[in-house]
Amino acid sequence: MTSKDVLDVRAKAQREKRRRRIASIIYIAIGIALFFVAWILLAHEKSPWNYDIPPPFGAVGPFQDIFQGVWGIFQGEGAIAHFWRNLGTSQDMKIKFVHACPDLHPANVNNPFRQVISSLMGWKYTAETAIVTGGPAPVPFVQLPDYCYGYGIHLLVTIVRILIGAALGTIAGLAIGLSSLVFPKVAQVFTPIASFFGTAPIFIAAPFFVIWFGVEVPIMTTIGLVTFYTTLLMYFFSRRAAENIPVGIVESALTLGGTPRSIFRWVYLPGTVPEIAGGFRIALAGAWGLGVLVEVLGIQVGGGHLIDIWRFLIGQLQAPSALVALITFYAALAVVVDAILLVIIRYLTRWSEAGRRLGL
Amino acid sequence: MSRVVSFEGLWCVFEHRSGQLVNALHDVNFEVQPGEFVCVVGRSGHGKTTLLRVLAGLQPPTAGQTRLGDSVVEGPGADRAMVFQQDTVFPWLHVRENVEFGLRALKVDDAERERTTAHWLDAVGLTDFADSWPRELSGGMRKRVALASAMAVGSDVILMDEPFGSLDYFTRRNLHDVLLDLWEATQKTIFFVTHDIEEALILADRVILLAEGKLVDDIPVNLPRPRDEDIRASSAAVDITKTILAHLGITEEEATQV
Ligand SMILES: Nc1ncnc2c1ncn2[C@@H]1O[C@H](COP(=O)(O)OP(=O)(O)OP(=O)(O)O)[C@@H](O)[C@H]1O
Ligand SMILES: [Mg+2]
Repeated sequence: MTSKDVLDVRAKAQREKRRRRIASIIYIAIGIALFFVAWILLAHEKSPWNYDIPPPFGAVGPFQDIFQGVWGIFQGEGAIAHFWRNLGTSQDMKIKFVHACPDLHPANVNNPFRQVISSLMGWKYTAETAIVTGGPAPVPFVQLPDYCYGYGIHLLVTIVRILIGAALGTIAGLAIGLSSLVFPKVAQVFTPIASFFGTAPIFIAAPFFVIWFGVEVPIMTTIGLVTFYTTLLMYFFSRRAAENIPVGIVESALTLGGTPRSIFRWVYLPGTVPEIAGGFRIALAGAWGLGVLVEVLGIQVGGGHLIDIWRFLIGQLQAPSALVALITFYAALAVVVDAILLVIIRYLTRWSEAGRRLGL
Repeated sequence: MSRVVSFEGLWCVFEHRSGQLVNALHDVNFEVQPGEFVCVVGRSGHGKTTLLRVLAGLQPPTAGQTRLGDSVVEGPGADRAMVFQQDTVFPWLHVRENVEFGLRALKVDDAERERTTAHWLDAVGLTDFADSWPRELSGGMRKRVALASAMAVGSDVILMDEPFGSLDYFTRRNLHDVLLDLWEATQKTIFFVTHDIEEALILADRVILLAEGKLVDDIPVNLPRPRDEDIRASSAAVDITKTILAHLGITEEEATQV
């Protein structure tokens, strides 16, 4: 080996660097393409969600609105007004958004989710009319308009939705995040997508979810949004947790004969628990707020919807105190769930002093 | 079963982000017989860790190769277990599970695994702490866990990169005894990196001296064992010390001035 060989080494390293950069660009492109393919499939007429999810490039899709708007600007006259009028809320979108009674909406009659919710609410309604004979609800709760079916169902529905969303998102986020440790290609495809959607603050993205996915099938919108949000967070938390495992520990495992499987099982899985658990607490805390917020935006069932109704009733009844009661209810619920989590996490991280110090 | 370890025309060039090229290993050639205790000595940044990482399969060489018997080293494996300078015990596993890790990866059956683990925990004197968390142990005890984990996977070559560097004198001497006992009982080949000449004199059959990535000397240490203070003060030992110091670029005057 001579100094010329050393220069060859250098050239080789540079080629390798360039190759990696090109590869990562290709992966980003593949990732974005896959995302749209998934979206198009979900919105396809054969898909069960086809009514609730507009196609990305179709006549009523959000992109269409934006494209039309941008196109309008080039057209000249009244273009900016056109753009703002149509941005995300074209006439077709408004038809999806504004409706009188979701249960009677013809588009919902055959929707399985709709039927589940309707029958649940019907059962609840029957039970309530049998027990409470129509008298006013006790203060601080305000009696709700008839079509609201009482309080219990709203609160219960919200809790269940948020927990389902958080659970689905956690499973998905961890599955993607942890599998990306064993299969690096998963990370190369998913990280660009996650970063793309992760940069938009979720509370800004929430109204768009409601507009895009519609309010007729709230279970889709709330669960969908909470799932989406938890998936992103849990993906990032699991990746970061794994990256924070010292390289030396992984190398040590390798020289002890560690296989990808055994390293996953005995190094990554237990070693990422404290950070993932901490991340889960953050994700769940966000999910409570997010779930209720989405319901305020126009969904017809759930605690958030109650807040929405009380907003209209303020001044006429004891609405403010009812509102406070509701918020207190959710706050107390979040604290209780968090306390249960804390006990579980304490157990899982009993090996780590740091975990205990961080109060994880 | 035991195999000769050979380094053949080994080069390792690193390019730093700044563009700086570093020749960490410079045409290194030597062979180690089964059962030898080799100490690799050199100044800081002169390629000791790199040599061990290449042999461990954690660092691919730029040119040349490392062989274990007939097979060329291509990646890390349980036949070359390594004890690192930093703390690499898994903090989330009990002491016993730490020692069991390699055996599980190798899919050793349960009874055999329990037996082997118990044996090595006993050999390093940690039987009573098998169910403790690593954070409940002292630094020296954690090093013993790492040693037991490496021994348990049954490799015939053990790599140790300044394993006792961060420990106090007494703990070190104690671990030297533990290590020498294990070595004598198992006749494994041991590569032990150190920059402490006294440590090399206590442990080594042979000292490999690295300077700027080059193998500058290969010194046999034919002192009787156990190497107590008297033996390390003998004229043969002092000669070896002087040779090492000279190669490290420290003349005798310099050494006495310090
Ligand atoms: N991963 C790496 N990337 C770039 N350069 C490296 C890398 N590893 C080692 N080097 C370079 O190789 C040279 C030798 O490093 P090495 O770690 O082998 O030294 P050492 O003899 O173990 O030193 P010490 O006694 O301080 O541990 C150093 O100059 C270092 O800068
Ligand atoms: Mg080193």
